[in-house]
Amino acid sequence: MELLNLNIPSWSDLAYWRPEAILCGTFLAALLGDLIGRGRRPAISFVISVFGLITAGAYSVAAVLHGGAAHTIMGDLIIVDGMAAFFRLLFILAGLATVLFSWTAEEIMGRKRENKAEFFYLTVLMTAAMMVMAEARDLLMLFLSMEAVGLVSYVMAGYMRTSLRSTEASLKYVIFGAVSSGIMLYGLSLLYGMTGAMTFDGIRAGLLAGEVNGLSLLITVILILAGMSYKIAAVPFHFWCPDVYEGAPTPVAAIFSVGPKAAGFALMIRFFYTTLAAGADPSASAPLIELINWPLLMAVIAAVTMTYGNLVALRQLNVKRMLAYSSISHVGYLLMGFVLLTDAGLAAILFYLAVYTLMNLGAFFVVVALNNHIKSEELDDYAGIGFRAPWLGTMMVIFLASLTGVPPFAGFAGKFYVFTAVMDRQWFWLAILAALNSVVGLYYYFRVVKAMFLTRPAEGADTTPLKIHWLQYTVLAVLAVPTLVLGFWFGPLKVLADQAIGLLSTGM
Amino acid sequence: MMDVGLSHFVVVSALLFCLGLFAVMKRRNAVGILMGVELILNSANLNFVAFSRYVQHTIDGQIMATFVIVLAAAEAAVALAIVLAMFRNFGNVNAATATSLKR
Amino acid sequence: MTAADLIFYALAALTLVPALWVVGSPNIVHAGFNLLLTLLGVAGLFAWLGADFLAVAQLMVYIGGVLVLVLFTVMMTRVPQAREADSGAKRAILPGLFALGVLVVLLLVATGTHWGAPALTDAQPTTAEIGANFMTSYIFPFEYVSLVLLAALIGAAILIREPRGTEEDDEAGAAVETAEEEVQS
Repeated sequence: MELLNLNIPSWSDLAYWRPEAILCGTFLAALLGDLIGRGRRPAISFVISVFGLITAGAYSVAAVLHGGAAHTIMGDLIIVDGMAAFFRLLFILAGLATVLFSWTAEEIMGRKRENKAEFFYLTVLMTAAMMVMAEARDLLMLFLSMEAVGLVSYVMAGYMRTSLRSTEASLKYVIFGAVSSGIMLYGLSLLYGMTGAMTFDGIRAGLLAGEVNGLSLLITVILILAGMSYKIAAVPFHFWCPDVYEGAPTPVAAIFSVGPKAAGFALMIRFFYTTLAAGADPSASAPLIELINWPLLMAVIAAVTMTYGNLVALRQLNVKRMLAYSSISHVGYLLMGFVLLTDAGLAAILFYLAVYTLMNLGAFFVVVALNNHIKSEELDDYAGIGFRAPWLGTMMVIFLASLTGVPPFAGFAGKFYVFTAVMDRQWFWLAILAALNSVVGLYYYFRVVKAMFLTRPAEGADTTPLKIHWLQYTVLAVLAVPTLVLGFWFGPLKVLADQAIGLLSTGM
Repeated sequence: MMDVGLSHFVVVSALLFCLGLFAVMKRRNAVGILMGVELILNSANLNFVAFSRYVQHTIDGQIMATFVIVLAAAEAAVALAIVLAMFRNFGNVNAATATSLKR
Repeated sequence: MTAADLIFYALAALTLVPALWVVGSPNIVHAGFNLLLTLLGVAGLFAWLGADFLAVAQLMVYIGGVLVLVLFTVMMTRVPQAREADSGAKRAILPGLFALGVLVVLLLVATGTHWGAPALTDAQPTTAEIGANFMTSYIFPFEYVSLVLLAALIGAAILIREPRGTEEDDEAGAAVETAEEEVQS
């Protein structure tokens, strides 16, 4: 046997992979710190996790500022390009905010809770795993990175293991997750058989070489979509989402609602735009689209997803559950950018994802902060809460208004870019449907605001002001200020998103 | 009957996949559902190995299959731990009886 | 029909016939033991395809590890009187029809696709090549998966550890510690 044609990665590859390497190291260090503290000093793991995330964040920012071309590293299994760099920042923001906020969350740090430290280092590992998802460029890494994120999330969903709701959430998550990833794996195997290639580029070459049956490819893509739409919670693989968000501890639900979803989008963009299209270029992709019209398929999924999520959200009386359905409808909006095959569409997705991360994390965190005091997420129990915690209430209004997409909040800028990109490619029915959906959203988001500020609490209810920890205020402010500012000063983020996508098309 | 070739393997794996899918949908016992998942994963693995031999003539498919086996083991460990935690809390492992969450 | 073909059909039968019982058996323990036969059949098919390393890995990891875990869980979670509610034939109709539909579609894919060149190379022992690949081209996923395994191990420990009340935790901490060493070695 000869070793000559083996592709041996060099150590210098790690230079492009610093943030991920740091986070993996942080995970191990925090684990060790927990063992040294005999499991009784969660502060050790907390501090190590925060420092690791900040360091990794600094390197990620440096990588973005440095710019640079795409690098395929680690034996050509991983690609680090502008899009990967963009998503790194997103994941670190979500991971760091979750770790910081959870420090004061009763559901994680309550006096009777166990395994507190585990929560912090598992979050760190999940952040690293999501980054790898955004960087995979062959079928092996695709499956491996998705399973890595999945395994960590199953555990985190069942984190409150003595709670019925949490256990049930993790059971549903793991069963649906295992089934859908199995179905996806079967689709991947068929794709491998059709093209004889493992890398995304190789698969595209195999498909272009001809002799691939359109129907077979369609079936294969549908099988693969089962796994991917499970990750982003698109209809018809959404049904785990409300149960898991409601049952899991709220800080966990917060990171679930942004992290794995964004990672799923990164993976889908990379996979579909490399294998089933030739970059974000409609004319170059035409032969592949002729083979299988996946943009139309995705457009239908987008339409059904946003409509379903919105209509069911209308009926929800539990705020966490309402936010779960609202996150499903946001996936629908995001998928609109996915079907366009243009740079503008992809940049709109990235922009929207960044804004969505800010506002959705914020909304979930307000729920955590309230849950610390009133031990409930029911809408009825929110009556008059705005007067007991005015600042918290104000921030919730900002996040919800941004989720609705009314100007001058960041959500409006995000929706604006998606809509213009959609109109540019003349998908008018999709744009009209999305506009109608946004109006529906107004109703159920406003209902929470109404409960908080316009409803009188029940007779004899507690009306003392709530004491909110300063760390919670800090994190919320860090999320709320950009949500407000990005509404009218969105240039820099837009440039960042455009840059990330520009590098994507040249990098392929 | 023709000689055994690639299509034979694809047919066997398709049958195995559908049996797995059937088990997943029919079983109520959480462990039973996970058995169905194992069938699905094995069917995909069979495809990978067969394609690696007949189509690509390299070892990539086998390496993929090795990783799938490893991940299946990890997934089984976590999933069964969750099943046991559920048994402790609910007193059974019937996926349909876990309804503390709203529909 | 050659001897090799006969062996293939025997192995395919060993894979698929017990799989029917995995689906249909009203007794979940029987389903588990039938899964053993199916996994054995798949290992045999791997060997037939010349994937000797994978056949052995299937035996050791899948049958020796995963299946034992499954069977233990089955036995630990059995409620004495309650028969499994899985046996009802009515419940099987809709899933059965759906699975049948999927099967028809997949058979269409299997027969209607042009699956590359069917030329078969001579089977070589694969262990050395797989090992060399793990240490070179695939060193990254190889390392990465070990991290994932560690996380799965910790995760399973978190979920399954007896709630420890308010005080003593030394034992549990030590268990994680040794487990971690095992993974790293």
